[in-house]
Amino acid sequence: MRQGILFIILLLLLPIAVAIQDLLPAIPPFQARILLLPVVFCFGVMALPLVPALFFALATALVQGLVLLQIQSGQAELGLTVPVVFFLVWAIGLQMTSEATQGMRWEVHALGSAVVTMTLLSVEFLMLCVRRGGFPLEMLVLQRILIPSVTSLLIAPLLYFALCNLVPVFNEESHPVQKPNFSR
Amino acid sequence: MKKLQIASLVVLAVLAIAVCLLESDTLTRLQSGLLGVISPISRSGNAVKSSIGSLGKDLLSLDQLQTEYERILSENRKLRAENNGLRDLQQDNDHLRQVLSYREHSSFRLVPALVLGHDAGVWWNKIKINRGSADGIAPDMPVITDKGLVGKISSVSSNLSEVLLVTDENCKVAAKVEGTKEQGISAGSRDPGGELRLTFLSKLADLQPGQKVYTAGVSGGIFPSGIALGTVKSFHARELDGEAILEPAADLGMLEEVFIVTGAK
Repeated sequence: MRQGILFIILLLLLPIAVAIQDLLPAIPPFQARILLLPVVFCFGVMALPLVPALFFALATALVQGLVLLQIQSGQAELGLTVPVVFFLVWAIGLQMTSEATQGMRWEVHALGSAVVTMTLLSVEFLMLCVRRGGFPLEMLVLQRILIPSVTSLLIAPLLYFALCNLVPVFNEESHPVQKPNFSR
Repeated sequence: MKKLQIASLVVLAVLAIAVCLLESDTLTRLQSGLLGVISPISRSGNAVKSSIGSLGKDLLSLDQLQTEYERILSENRKLRAENNGLRDLQQDNDHLRQVLSYREHSSFRLVPALVLGHDAGVWWNKIKINRGSADGIAPDMPVITDKGLVGKISSVSSNLSEVLLVTDENCKVAAKVEGTKEQGISAGSRDPGGELRLTFLSKLADLQPGQKVYTAGVSGGIFPSGIALGTVKSFHARELDGEAILEPAADLGMLEEVFIVTGAK
């Protein structure tokens, strides 16, 4: 029951994250965007047990796929297959990392958020190159991948701080949460 | 592994496959539903952002004066946007057919909308606006400002819409260059420079920096003729055609208010 409430809270956070990331201004001078969805995704899949984490990954894939959906000549340009595979693979990877680190750690969440953001943007870029042709790998493109990834790294501990208190309250079966201790 | 977990994984696999096989019509409806879900959050978030942004101004001026100023500013932009199309079409009076359809093409019905935010997608250029199907907005309607073309409506929910900006690679616009017979197709690019590329021009086109480019309004297209699209920055001949780099007419990074062209008056 408690686990279900945590799952629902995390599901509600997905559209909220999408709405907030659209409201946030771009980071000058490269106009890079701040992405909150990968940060919420990492927290969710690390806080939940395996099976709910996989369902959460599927929900994240659906939201991300719909956010990026563009219909061209009656066909979806990217579709949902790539996001579904991407988020399910990362959900399993992050679950294994949580097992390996014997619990949910803020450092792992922060690093995971950055790596997921970086790979997500890279996969999107590659998919567009395949779909539309060309491969304009320039410094500006790299900056547009790296800056949101670094931003995710910096934002992730804030979300971890805000949400880690929910996990013991709502989810007695998940990985133990290790609260941030910056004195170490 | 417990039986329940195995059953859950089977359900997950079936759901994942079903999601991957969704048709574009279903995806469009789901996207519209998602926009409907985030619409109240976006609207309230934008209201909070505006309140915080105007806090200092409110301390210095009366609310009534500000409201009146915003109303007049909005009306002024609307009139300038209308005038923009009218002025350009006057210059095309050497083409009798275009002159005959002058009023049809130049008299727009405009619906004003506030920009709620830029889409956070890194490789796509989209904005969200506070108008939707409840206001008569439909996909593919052109979006303009008093300065020029902004883009087209890409998806719609009841009171929120997404606009695909002209700087997006997928927003293709038939365009003509002022003072010449040159016509081409303009589109954005994946390079995040915010410029437009006008292609399929003649290799021998004599284009100079500063020349204005307007929508061509081809038959069956979605953009009316004569809306300012951009200014030529440079031109170079390619193997088969000529390509001009354009600076967009509308300042797409600073959009606050736009107008949706819902039809002719």
